[in-house]
Amino acid sequence: MDRRKFLKQSSLASSLFFVPSFVKAFEEVASSKLGYKRLVIIQLSGGNDGLNTVIPFRNDLYYKERPTLGLAQNDIIKLNDEVGLNASLAPLKRLYDKGYVSIINNVGYPNPIRSHFRSMDIWQTASDSNQYAQSGWIGRYLDNYGKQSHSAIEIDDSLSLAMKGESINAIATLDPKIMYNLSKGPYLKNINKHLADKHLSEHNLGYLYKSMIAAESSAKYIYETSKTVTSKKEYPKSKFGKQMKTTAQFINSHLQTKVYYTALGGFDTHVNQKATQKRLLNMYAQSMEAFVEDLKANNTFKDTLILTFSEFGRRVKQNASVGTDHGTANNVFIIGENLKKQGLYNNMASLSDLDKNGDLKFEIDFRTIYATVLDKWLEVDDKKVLNKSFNQLDFI
Amino acid sequence: MKVKHIQHLYRRIGFGILPSILETISAKSKSQIVDDLIKASNNTTTLEVDISEIKDIFGGMMMSGSKLDADTRRKIQKISRKKQVELNVSWINRLASTPELLREKMTLFWANHFVCEDNSIVYIQQFNNTLRQHALGNFGDFVKAISKEAAMTKYLNTKQNRKQKPNENFARELMELFTLGEGHYTEQDIKESARAFTGYSHNLRGEFVFKKRQHDYTDKTFFEEIGNFNGNDIIDIILKKRQCAKFICTKVYRYFVNDVVDEAHIDMMTDVFYKDYSIENLMRFVLTSNWFYDDKNIGSKIKSPVEFLVGLKHTVPVTFKNRKQVLQIQRLLGQTLLDPPNVAGWKGGRNWIDSNTIMLRLKLPSLLLNNAYISNIKNGNRDAMIETKKQQFKKKYGKRFNTETNWGYFKKHYKNIALQDMEAHILACSLSEDAKTYLQSLQKVSKQEYCIQLMSLPEYQMC
Repeated sequence: MDRRKFLKQSSLASSLFFVPSFVKAFEEVASSKLGYKRLVIIQLSGGNDGLNTVIPFRNDLYYKERPTLGLAQNDIIKLNDEVGLNASLAPLKRLYDKGYVSIINNVGYPNPIRSHFRSMDIWQTASDSNQYAQSGWIGRYLDNYGKQSHSAIEIDDSLSLAMKGESINAIATLDPKIMYNLSKGPYLKNINKHLADKHLSEHNLGYLYKSMIAAESSAKYIYETSKTVTSKKEYPKSKFGKQMKTTAQFINSHLQTKVYYTALGGFDTHVNQKATQKRLLNMYAQSMEAFVEDLKANNTFKDTLILTFSEFGRRVKQNASVGTDHGTANNVFIIGENLKKQGLYNNMASLSDLDKNGDLKFEIDFRTIYATVLDKWLEVDDKKVLNKSFNQLDFI
Repeated sequence: MKVKHIQHLYRRIGFGILPSILETISAKSKSQIVDDLIKASNNTTTLEVDISEIKDIFGGMMMSGSKLDADTRRKIQKISRKKQVELNVSWINRLASTPELLREKMTLFWANHFVCEDNSIVYIQQFNNTLRQHALGNFGDFVKAISKEAAMTKYLNTKQNRKQKPNENFARELMELFTLGEGHYTEQDIKESARAFTGYSHNLRGEFVFKKRQHDYTDKTFFEEIGNFNGNDIIDIILKKRQCAKFICTKVYRYFVNDVVDEAHIDMMTDVFYKDYSIENLMRFVLTSNWFYDDKNIGSKIKSPVEFLVGLKHTVPVTFKNRKQVLQIQRLLGQTLLDPPNVAGWKGGRNWIDSNTIMLRLKLPSLLLNNAYISNIKNGNRDAMIETKKQQFKKKYGKRFNTETNWGYFKKHYKNIALQDMEAHILACSLSEDAKTYLQSLQKVSKQEYCIQLMSLPEYQMC
């Protein structure tokens, strides 16, 4: 482990008290000078149809299985002679052309589950498909390496399982001002926070006092730090656009937060898929472009990695309502400035070798992506977070 | 029975007790009060929302014998979603006002033991009432009934469990989560018992159907016994293990007594429960034991979101003009009835609390009951502007929740309680020094304002 890595880790470790204060001070200088790497996770909820997102337009099987749902050539932006993007992703294509995007195809897990809830749990907890884990992977990152709740923030009004650890949870907020107001109460204003230390013992009431004081201090910190920055960038006028704008505001104000989490829902397209997916993908791509530009303008893009996933892809064959049913493997987008492997990371899934449900057979376990991000980007021990060792990929 | 102990009892097997009711029973003995509680729960009143619309569709289907087409299925799902909201709200309202208090609290407990969810209102309502019906009954009968519930055969894939291709999901959770706990069975036990549950299914109306042709009639070797076991046999064999009684007693102890287990007490409970697996007898034993009322058990647990919300309603009845807000609050607090996180249920205890939920809990009483207003006028001053301020608060913060509160009810039931004695009725644990100093510095404006002040403390989160 190199010195920088050591310093970063030790400062985040729960054994904070054992780190001499000069080391801590040094770390803060180090992280502001050398950069402060952050991860932004975007969840496309409902199961985005990967095959109409990244399209194998030379594959006859694609059009055979999707006679009315398959995208015509003019609805596709070509990436090469065989693969193209849904035309509504034009803003993402511009990022792609700059080398900021890596598309990992055919990502899934063994014995796939086609229920939204279960599959989302599996992605969020990084468990095997027959395990019911009760903590999320970012939550366990916090357990091991997070200082405070605000080391990870979900831009929403409540927390996803991904953000819940065994001993510490992330914090959720759509609007830091509202959260700050909520945290203020006459009692909290009056309580002597040093006196309260004596409550911070083992019993449950002490735990409540500790949580209350930490919550107030996080809310105050997030609000007061983030309000110093306002974004001039135009984002799509949707909830998701606003969430990305808030995320950019947090990042550009240099909050000491390592992970941000947001979700865009509505991808469960069983009926008349085309229009719905087009609208959603476009909202996603426009928001991503604005977000990246916003970060670039503030010199924070180089330290930000964006990971986009969905709980599953959809059935290869279209259904009777010009939509698709729940499927398995899907694509994952990685967006960042210094990607090791830009463009298409691997080949598209085979459309001829399907499982007995008519679904894609996965090639890359999503946890290998998590392991890569944890080890190479967040620079922590991925095995500690994932409770298991996974091979790593080389997109970063 | 001591007032303090009656309050403790009611906080655990219910959601608190109003002073007016407390007055009427405080002369009774412990065993008498516990007896009365059990008697009051002899009856089971099912919880039902009107699902005739769906039943009519089913009726039609039965006649024609056809399967559901996509459009009908979507239509049913749409009705179901709406009705699930209704069922959730009715359940919350039921909890706040039921005469069958112990049964209802036990139902809530079992709902986080036999965890299940289903998007069909018909099956989930039926499941919910099965929990209610068996809540104080025989545990063996209970497990058997649960194994045959339509919602459960869907949720844990017993429906897909066929002789040719067994699905182990239910068998695994039956032992891991419902009866024995992890580490008390082998993978082989799971495989063998899964075969005993083959052929379990249900019809459209949610009635249990046993598909003989999909059932594996060959011998199974389960916990050293060999035989052509069916699902009920497997459950009977599991019940022979003392570990099963111990596992359930530990869970009951954690829920009703203390997060931290006392092994000696668990042993005593297990002795009682293992005899006949009567849940009623177990609860009678726990609630009449002296240790249940030990100081360390009083006010030591963190309320679940539902206990918190129902507790509020129990003290000051509040109705929501928009039903969906009842669910929104549950979601924000981290526990939406009928929508568990997964088959393991909610972890409970300290896991209810994080930065977001603690902030919301401290603000909700004022938001829901008092136009977001918490009086903080210092001693010797009058809160002269209180009504004006409340109007301002309502404008600023009150938009979020549209509620109607019945403070008249509160005033009636707290009529005989002096303002300075309210603390013991509203809070389960004693005040921390900080909270004491703070409250002493405030002017006591009225019982209503003082109630809100008390409910806005961390201490109010305890039960």
